[in-house]
Amino acid sequence: MAFKKQRMVLQFPAGTVDEPITYTLIKEYDVMINILNADISHGREGSLLVEISGEQESVEVARKYLKSKSVKISPVVKTILFEQAECINCGVCSSVCYPGALEMDRESRELHFFPEKCVACELCIKACPLQLFELNFGAN
Amino acid sequence: MKKSFQEINDKIRSGKAVVLTAEEVAAMGKDHSPSQVAEKVDVVTTATFGPMCSSGMIINTGHSDPPIRMERATLNGVPVFTGIAAVDLYIGATENHPENPAYGGAHIIEDLIAGKDVELEAHAKGTDCYPRKDIKTSINRNNINEMVMFNPRNAYQNYPVAVNTSKRIKYTYMGSLLPRMGNANYSTSGELSPLLNDPEMRTIGMGTRIFLGGTTGYISWYGTQFNTSAELNEHGVPVANAATLAVIGDASKMSPEFIKAAYYEKYGVSMFVGIGIPIPVLDEEMAARVMIRNEQITTRILDYGDPAHPELGRTNYEELMSGEIIFNKKKIKTASLSSIYQARKIADILKRQISEGTFLLSEPVEMFPRGKSLNSLKIRK
Repeated sequence: MAFKKQRMVLQFPAGTVDEPITYTLIKEYDVMINILNADISHGREGSLLVEISGEQESVEVARKYLKSKSVKISPVVKTILFEQAECINCGVCSSVCYPGALEMDRESRELHFFPEKCVACELCIKACPLQLFELNFGAN
Repeated sequence: MKKSFQEINDKIRSGKAVVLTAEEVAAMGKDHSPSQVAEKVDVVTTATFGPMCSSGMIINTGHSDPPIRMERATLNGVPVFTGIAAVDLYIGATENHPENPAYGGAHIIEDLIAGKDVELEAHAKGTDCYPRKDIKTSINRNNINEMVMFNPRNAYQNYPVAVNTSKRIKYTYMGSLLPRMGNANYSTSGELSPLLNDPEMRTIGMGTRIFLGGTTGYISWYGTQFNTSAELNEHGVPVANAATLAVIGDASKMSPEFIKAAYYEKYGVSMFVGIGIPIPVLDEEMAARVMIRNEQITTRILDYGDPAHPELGRTNYEELMSGEIIFNKKKIKTASLSSIYQARKIADILKRQISEGTFLLSEPVEMFPRGKSLNSLKIRK
């Protein structure tokens, strides 16, 4: 059985925010949930940026469960926006970027951004002294 | 081989001076002796582009009719210092907007340099000679009298590396420091850094002409917290933050490319300042100094997880610039607060200006004091 890992934004309708949906996913559907960002308030719509991983079948069943609860699932395409043209290449963001999405070129001393490696941990947002990173919480 | 400032300037004027950047001369030093370097090279350009909190700008707004003796003033809502003459203001780079901690004096300075309009609001009690009590208007680079950058402490000679051994992330002026030594941040341009290329300040002193923020500036004094008593390593460079520079220049001719406002999370506003200093290779001894390489510059690793910032160990800039250091058998990702990329740009500009004969070297009017050490603030009754 294949192992599957998916990053997605879960948008919870107002009524479901008080239900322990994440708990049920882990307990009943045996998937691993890594919460990368959360924006939830009681009684209002909420959204969760998660990485769901597990056996392919478990992930599929978990998705069906989410749909049955009217949770909108959107695969994440772009999570961090970087205003690179304004960057002064200090590179201080690179030491907090563990997935290696922000790397300094050792020769040219220029900063490179590899969005495909980004897990949207948001540490760069607070690390950049020019405030050039922004979280794009939406999905396509 | 000895050369005077005068002889080097004559060569610059005739377009015959050999000018290298500090990185180029460091590379040359691998297969050249100091006497060979002194023979071949006349000037070495050094540079730094880092966040330097002790910075600011004096402006004179011109007088309104009737005039006001400004006693409290803000620019775009950021308080500025009015405790000098009627319409002279000092914009402190780190002054915060009371409601927006990420915006402050450095942003105002950058905006004025960029030619943007800035809202001025000032209040006073009103006097017989300055009857106006309130004023609200906008100012920009073209409608004020002077804008002079005066930075009391810039271009630190070396600076420690910051790590955090605590269990929580620390947001500091050394950037975001991850818990359990998750990263290590440093802040100098290493072998390119001005005061590391002339550690005894034989050629750098009061009156030295420099590159400041995109134009010509001057070293006006030694910087605050000036310390010449720091421990030296075997290559004669201080292993701790030691000497500093006070610099001055015409901000109306500066460029926002070389003066940038910065905000460090939960710390506050600071300002990136671009400084370039030419060093004349007067003799073999100066040649040996400017040949210094990153691996020969030692710095201390301090724990910002502890308020006392205890020293945990030492490293050098070769290791730091490789992107990781190994400390206590642990690989730690490193990053610089200062931009080597920008510093190189400045060193190259200065090299070009000197090579073209448009930037002459100035011999210091007075040398910096020796044997200076620091006092700490004692709590006295």
